[in-house]
Amino acid sequence: MTLSPITSMLPGTMLASSDVPAATIAPEFAWLGWALALPAISALACTLMALCKVKGKLPGWLTVASLGTCFVLILKAYQSMPEGPIVVPLAEWMSFSWGPSDFHSLQAALELYIDRLTIFWMLFVSGLGTLIALYATEYMEHDVKAGYARFFAGVSIFLFAMTALVMGGNLLLLYLGWEGVGLASYMLIGYFFTRPSAVAAAKKAFIVNRIGDLGLALGIFLTWRCYGTIEYSELFQIAGNPPRDGPWEEALIPYLLMLGAFGKSAQGPLYVWLPDAMEGPTPVSALIHAATMVTAGVFLIARCYPLFLLQPDALTVVAWIGGLTAFWAATIGMAQYDMKRVWAYSTISQLGYMFLGLGLGTTFGACFHTFTHAFFKACLFLTAGAVMHGFAGQLDIRKLSGLSKIPGFRMVSWFALLGALWLAAFPFSAAFFSKDEILSAGVGSDRADFQFLGWLGLFTAGLTAYYTFRVWFRAFAGPVHFEPGEEVHAHGEFHPHSPRWAMKLSIAIIGIGAVLAGYPAYEAMFLHKENWVQWMMAGSTAVGGAGVVEQAADHAAEASSGHQVLGMSAHAATSVAGSIFGIGGILIALYLHLIRRSAADSLRRAIQATPLIGWIPGAAENKWYVDEIYNAVFCVPLWVTGHVLHFIDKHILDAGVVDGIGSSPSLVGRVFRPLYGGVLQSYAVTMAGGVGLILAWLAYTWLRGGF
Amino acid sequence: MTMLAPITLASSMADRVGLLWPELLLLIAAMVVALMGLSKDRTIRGAVGPVSILAVLASGVLALVTGGAEAAAAAGVPFPALAQWLKPMVALIAAGLMAVQGGFVDQALEAAIGRNAAAFNPLRAIRGEFHAFALFSIAGVMLLTTATDLIWLFLALELVSLPTYVMVAIGRSDRPGLEAAVKYFFLGAMATAVMLMGFALLYGATGSLQFDLIRNAFGAQAASGGIALLGVGGLMLTAIGLFFKITAVPMHFYAPDVYEGAPLPVTAVLSFIPKVAGFVGLILVLGTAGLTSGELPKPIIALLWMAAILTMSLGNMGALLQHSMKRTMAYSSIAHSGYMLVALAAGTTDALDALLFYLFAYGVTTVATFGGLAVIQRAGGDADRFEDLAGLRRTNPWATSMIVLGALSFTGIPPLLGFFGKFWILTSAFEAGQVALCIFLVVNSLVSARYYLRFMATPVIAEPDSNATPTERNPSRAPVLASVVFGLALLILPCFTGSIFGWVQQATDAPAKAQ
Repeated sequence: MTLSPITSMLPGTMLASSDVPAATIAPEFAWLGWALALPAISALACTLMALCKVKGKLPGWLTVASLGTCFVLILKAYQSMPEGPIVVPLAEWMSFSWGPSDFHSLQAALELYIDRLTIFWMLFVSGLGTLIALYATEYMEHDVKAGYARFFAGVSIFLFAMTALVMGGNLLLLYLGWEGVGLASYMLIGYFFTRPSAVAAAKKAFIVNRIGDLGLALGIFLTWRCYGTIEYSELFQIAGNPPRDGPWEEALIPYLLMLGAFGKSAQGPLYVWLPDAMEGPTPVSALIHAATMVTAGVFLIARCYPLFLLQPDALTVVAWIGGLTAFWAATIGMAQYDMKRVWAYSTISQLGYMFLGLGLGTTFGACFHTFTHAFFKACLFLTAGAVMHGFAGQLDIRKLSGLSKIPGFRMVSWFALLGALWLAAFPFSAAFFSKDEILSAGVGSDRADFQFLGWLGLFTAGLTAYYTFRVWFRAFAGPVHFEPGEEVHAHGEFHPHSPRWAMKLSIAIIGIGAVLAGYPAYEAMFLHKENWVQWMMAGSTAVGGAGVVEQAADHAAEASSGHQVLGMSAHAATSVAGSIFGIGGILIALYLHLIRRSAADSLRRAIQATPLIGWIPGAAENKWYVDEIYNAVFCVPLWVTGHVLHFIDKHILDAGVVDGIGSSPSLVGRVFRPLYGGVLQSYAVTMAGGVGLILAWLAYTWLRGGF
Repeated sequence: MTMLAPITLASSMADRVGLLWPELLLLIAAMVVALMGLSKDRTIRGAVGPVSILAVLASGVLALVTGGAEAAAAAGVPFPALAQWLKPMVALIAAGLMAVQGGFVDQALEAAIGRNAAAFNPLRAIRGEFHAFALFSIAGVMLLTTATDLIWLFLALELVSLPTYVMVAIGRSDRPGLEAAVKYFFLGAMATAVMLMGFALLYGATGSLQFDLIRNAFGAQAASGGIALLGVGGLMLTAIGLFFKITAVPMHFYAPDVYEGAPLPVTAVLSFIPKVAGFVGLILVLGTAGLTSGELPKPIIALLWMAAILTMSLGNMGALLQHSMKRTMAYSSIAHSGYMLVALAAGTTDALDALLFYLFAYGVTTVATFGGLAVIQRAGGDADRFEDLAGLRRTNPWATSMIVLGALSFTGIPPLLGFFGKFWILTSAFEAGQVALCIFLVVNSLVSARYYLRFMATPVIAEPDSNATPTERNPSRAPVLASVVFGLALLILPCFTGSIFGWVQQATDAPAKAQ
């Protein structure tokens, strides 16, 4: 099996060669500013409509139209895109200067930095955004009078912020977008604000992201402090030729940026908010918490890759966090019963793969996986949404069965199967190739720890296949059986409510997109062309310029001949092992959850009865008690400290110190009060006295010997 | 320099008339407005406010269009480009202040006339004169920016001050109003006397009244062993006299009483127009002794230094104790003068730019805050207790938001305009090595948050006392409109700080080059 030349770049081999091509100023691309303006306009219009209590679907259609236009603009940019990166100045913005050097000024113009990575990201962000907004026009229709306009205002704000994040020309615009998507995410998770769990989830997402965002903010501060600029066009030129003896803080930059990425992309210790974020309406879960926003962390690292290349150890950390998160989340996903939660854990797990790819040096693999994942995960969430919509909020796979046999849900079920196959990385699906790129970089690596991560990733792929098909076989296959969820309004017998054209159309297009997402890999494999995604990465910051690509290609050629894994090339070995793990996982799921469902229960009981490992199923179902541990380790001490401090504040500081100090101005005031008695003559005397004092002082200093 | 040169004023007035179109327009508008206020026709009387606002705006535009810096330099103006910034800036903010006054009229009488319940009584129709006086005062500030000698400076300053005395006096017919006016007038006269004494000493020390000749004389003295005691004394007395206008220690005593005694819209005018005049006067007079090149005589720097610290600290400390909003605003305006004195004490061109920008930020914030406070009144007078604001968020959310924005901007919270003013003063003073002043400024800002928070918290959080007589709504919409426009400007203008900073920097460019 010959695949495209892999860019299995080892961080150590490409130090000091991150020569991002210099950006050219291209004001003629100013029309791209509309990609930023259109969602903003639609957000404002939807807000106005929410204020005016517009009834009807106008906000939804307006959002779809503006996002669609945005997508067309990006397509146009894709066609007319010049070779190298361009900077499109739009307006003046921040410009401070308090001295002569770079380090005495802060410039951040309102400008776009467009290279192929930008276009690549925007293509799926705006494309999926349009389709999911179309889906939501129907999905949210039960809310037409209440929150419909508010929902679409949130979606528009999200797209606006995401566009600023991806297309912005400096780290400050990225930060603005970063916080903007965080805000939109908060508003949309808490969309059903009367439900306490939704409000709690929104707060949790916001607060956990604070930790990451603090890292990002500090990283940006340090970037400015060490390099004197936060404009990409200048920053990457400087990072290409870093000063030999930079300040020591320079080494911290990638770690701080990484912290931001882990928060936004739900990695490592900061992933806990994403499963709870499923409280939001399903289109939001599909768009923000699966396909686009959570990939912002991947984008951040891909965009700032030149800065990471300066610190190879940072990339190792990224790889470890990604690999371990992928495994960890998969184990939790195996034990969940709520369909959306399983998909949420699978999102965390798949994001882990992307970070693993970034850490292993194959930004191409990471971005390719982001691309394929965006489609199949959106497809899975939209089908889950159709189920939720049709069965009054029911998502428990113990209470749903055989949906593919219910009229109106056939198409949904088959597209869910498609998504499941893709998520399980079934051989020759799109995700199979993208995951293969990442894992072969690990398995074929020189370094033992990377090889371990590669094999761990392969094993995780097996777990992924199992839990994915556990859901599909349980809910969509088998005998027909369903119980409606809690949102049943109508009295009498419950009838599933099958999706109509807008939802079906979106699911179909996204499903077809998921199939087509594999096309670049087929093209590379059968037509021996360059992989389109790889071409999109070339010349962008993600690979640190053309020089690195060539070097990496050499390296890859060497790798495919040099490093033999199990007697095969790394690629072939990964493909074979991945297929075995994947199909094995599916077969186990087939047996336990379709052919003999009782076997799953007896297996569970058998494990529970075994000493030493009996606790595992329960712990996995309870997410390894991470929330409880965080609560005990962070929240409870903080709560206690808060109350202790409150007590000290109220009874010691307020009563004693503050009132004491607080009364001192009034004491001073009382001393001076006679001066402010309101009598004209005394004012005149006091003022004259003041003048006299000053003159006396002047005379005194002069007599003492001049000034 | 012992022989006194004959007093020479600039020879050709015709040169300078070209610089004075905005002032001429304002003077004409003042006459027209005064006459309109006497009309029996209600619509004509009603047009007084809009006409004044339009006149002020037009004078600002006129200042932009005419007044070239070259012509000013040819006429011997010390900071030729200063007017380019100050005149439009003052016009813009003055237009806002006039709009805040829009609600200031004998509304009860107007309503009675409208119902045919009362006859028109020109003695009670104070609206026309009132606006005319305000226009005179604004014209005075504009005249000041192109002053070339001490006589011009004095006349312009008096043109600023005298109408404000009258405005305080006729604003309220009750006893506190008259008492405030009398205090203001007598103490103002005393301060003017101190300033004139300073002028006399300056003339004695340099033999001239013209700024450029005084500067040359001081330059010569400085080169040969330092400015003489007479000159230093003159500068000092002049500065102290001007401290009255900017309510700086030790000439600040009048402010709380006068601000409290005056009606709210007049308080707004008092806290901005005379302050600009005072600072321009200080810049012009101290500019003759090397203000921007750091060559000021040491006693003058020491004076500015002490005045800055005392003004900031006494202002903020005094504001903590007040129950009256206008009195609090008086102390707050004292404190802000202290912040601006920090820039003056720093004595660099950058600091001077910072001061000029701060005046602008302070003016915009003043209009936003006072416009918001002017929406409530009580029995035709002001509602002046903090408790009167309680519950305002329900009755007038717009005014509430603008008061909150204004208070935040006064405190100096980013990203509002006030932050940038304070930030620039801080950085420029820090660059100039005045670290102690910077520390005082920051600490004072912290203290000031305490009383600005009352402006924010009372309307938003507090519930009105059910036993108290409820406040009335100001029948005029103009104050809240001005408040909203300027309040939004607090949010929007920071996006354009780059251009505004550039504009301000041009205002002081020319003399820096000349040196």
